Amino acid sequence: MIKNLKRISAVLGCMTVIAITPAKAQDIKLGALFPFSGGLALLGDESYRGVKIAVDERNAAGGINGKKIVLIKADAVDANQAVGEARRLTSVEGVTAIFGSFASGVSSAATQVTELAGVPYFELGAVADTITGRGLKYVFRSNSTAKNFADRSIESIIKVVAPTLKVDPKTLKLAIIYEDGPYGTLVGGFQKEEAKRLGLTVVESQAYSGKSVDLSSLVLRVKSAGADIVLQTSYQNDTLLFFRQSATAGYKPRAFIGAGGGYSLNDIAQTLGAAIEGVYDVDFPQITMNAAGAPGLKEFVAAYQKQFGIQPRSGHSLVNYVGAKAFLDILAKANSTDKDKIRQTVLAYRQPVGSNAAAWGFHFGENGQNQLASTNLMQWQHGKLVTVYPESVASAKPIVGN
Amino acid sequence: MRSLGATVSIFIQLLLNGLLLGGAYAIVSIGLTLIFGVVRVVNFAHGEFLMIGMYAVWLLAQHFGLHPYVSALLVALLLFVLGASMQRFIIQPLLSADPHIQVFATIGVSTALLNLALMVFGADVRKADVVFGTESLMVGPLTLVSGQLITFVVALVVAAGMHLFLQRTYTGRAFRALAQNRMAAALMGVNVNSTYVLAFGIGAGLVGLASGLLAVQYPVFPTVGQYFVLTAFVIVVLGGMGSLPGAVIGSLFIGLIDSLAGFYIGPDLKEVVYFLIFLAILIVRPTGLFGLGRGSE
Repeated sequence: MIKNLKRISAVLGCMTVIAITPAKAQDIKLGALFPFSGGLALLGDESYRGVKIAVDERNAAGGINGKKIVLIKADAVDANQAVGEARRLTSVEGVTAIFGSFASGVSSAATQVTELAGVPYFELGAVADTITGRGLKYVFRSNSTAKNFADRSIESIIKVVAPTLKVDPKTLKLAIIYEDGPYGTLVGGFQKEEAKRLGLTVVESQAYSGKSVDLSSLVLRVKSAGADIVLQTSYQNDTLLFFRQSATAGYKPRAFIGAGGGYSLNDIAQTLGAAIEGVYDVDFPQITMNAAGAPGLKEFVAAYQKQFGIQPRSGHSLVNYVGAKAFLDILAKANSTDKDKIRQTVLAYRQPVGSNAAAWGFHFGENGQNQLASTNLMQWQHGKLVTVYPESVASAKPIVGN
Repeated sequence: MRSLGATVSIFIQLLLNGLLLGGAYAIVSIGLTLIFGVVRVVNFAHGEFLMIGMYAVWLLAQHFGLHPYVSALLVALLLFVLGASMQRFIIQPLLSADPHIQVFATIGVSTALLNLALMVFGADVRKADVVFGTESLMVGPLTLVSGQLITFVVALVVAAGMHLFLQRTYTGRAFRALAQNRMAAALMGVNVNSTYVLAFGIGAGLVGLASGLLAVQYPVFPTVGQYFVLTAFVIVVLGGMGSLPGAVIGSLFIGLIDSLAGFYIGPDLKEVVYFLIFLAILIVRPTGLFGLGRGSE
């Protein structure tokens, strides 16, 4: 039995290698490591589509210094698989660099492997700050981090939410609630620090299990603390639960501010109906932002639509596209597969803010983190998520929710 | 400082929330305790049964406009068939194998169903669009949702009905005989295999009923079952494996702790609190509150 299994897996292994690598010797092989199956598959695939469009575009324009780019897909649903797939890409496939990976857990595990193998890893979408905070030399990240999400949400209270409500931000009472996984804990923790630094009043800050089936006691806590603004970092189910149980308990804060996750999704908006009107959300740049501040955005959406037949399903494809495009540019400039040459070129690479489709700039720090990536403040208005801040990419004015 | 009146009304609201949450746990736990108690199989696929039931309810609501309370009965039948087939074709061939093997088999079914749902439905959250059952009711300063009250009442009625069935009917007695000793029951003329199939089917059917009731309050997504089922396992062990009154009282107890600890201690610590109480109870009564005692298998 076991012998058979081994034989089958060996055959399958050969088949995948044959099927997906029609690479010629003079091609440049790049890995694309994302969760393509399992619970993260939807947004993992959405992220990959961004990379795919960037690569296709580059190949159509002659590839990297005349060499064609071949993308090699690797499916990593969790940290374990990420390690296995990263090993395959670096040792069997011999890729020059790897793009990834949407999920922070996947990225953290895969980068440990690639660093040892001396293969540069270009992170385009995972937000945990620790990914570029571990002193790894060949891990570079184009996208904004959890700290950026948190800072933008607190800044928004002062710059947007309070002025819209016509009150002094210092008089507003904040409740910071977050799911107790890595994502919620990171964002929630940074929000607390930033609120304290800016002198805002936090009356309640509370972690809860994202797998909870009842948040009514949390609602009562926040309600009896008299919070005016609720900042929630959450997934889908807990977002719905908190909204529903707040309505049942007759609790209406003056504003909700989400941090990506459940707050960005159309499904959630549809399920909540009118209750989502006026709710704020901090997230990666979305395709609905004002294209005047984001050159190339319209072209990206058109290319996406041509290739996949639908509108982008979230902002993930956009930020992955922008990041991948920059790193392909860097590979061309480095004109070498040597890891140190690539690192040098990454650190020297510059693009001013507002010069690309995500309205980001590029300037990598010593830790490999792009310091000119940001997140935007959005708001649900008439069933659509519109960008309201910063003004350069805003597509609508903020409104007072119901 | 809050006034005394406000403090008291929050406390009563918390008690009410806790009992109603207990009702939701109870309706999920009743079927689990039956399978646990009679077939003596730890059914790790119970949560996925709930998930499948909730998807079925959602599909019936989307395509035929059936209210979840109506489709609950149809889905209960569907899950009866699913549960009975699982017992007949997966558990029964393993009956004389080591009990661990059956556990692994149910874990296998659980993983397969979970990933099947991910393939078919994706990871999105879906919710049946209903009005009846989602209205907020105000009773003085207290608020509750009508569907929670309905779930609570149905859970109690079903538990009482099942209790009568187990005590008063021949089949019920056969269930209990099997729970106590499979060999002796077989010697007394109980058809072990078909009784197991029936018990597993009824247990799964009850979770089908639960899915109709819960789909009014909760959205469905592939991992929804796991949200409920870990707590349901705790409840079943706490109440005593196979004991219906134990499952109901355990559910209400856990619901109350969840609500009170969530408010007075903190939502991130409520699980710590109820697992500590759970451990304490098991140390004092290893077979649970209403367990059959050490004599049973």
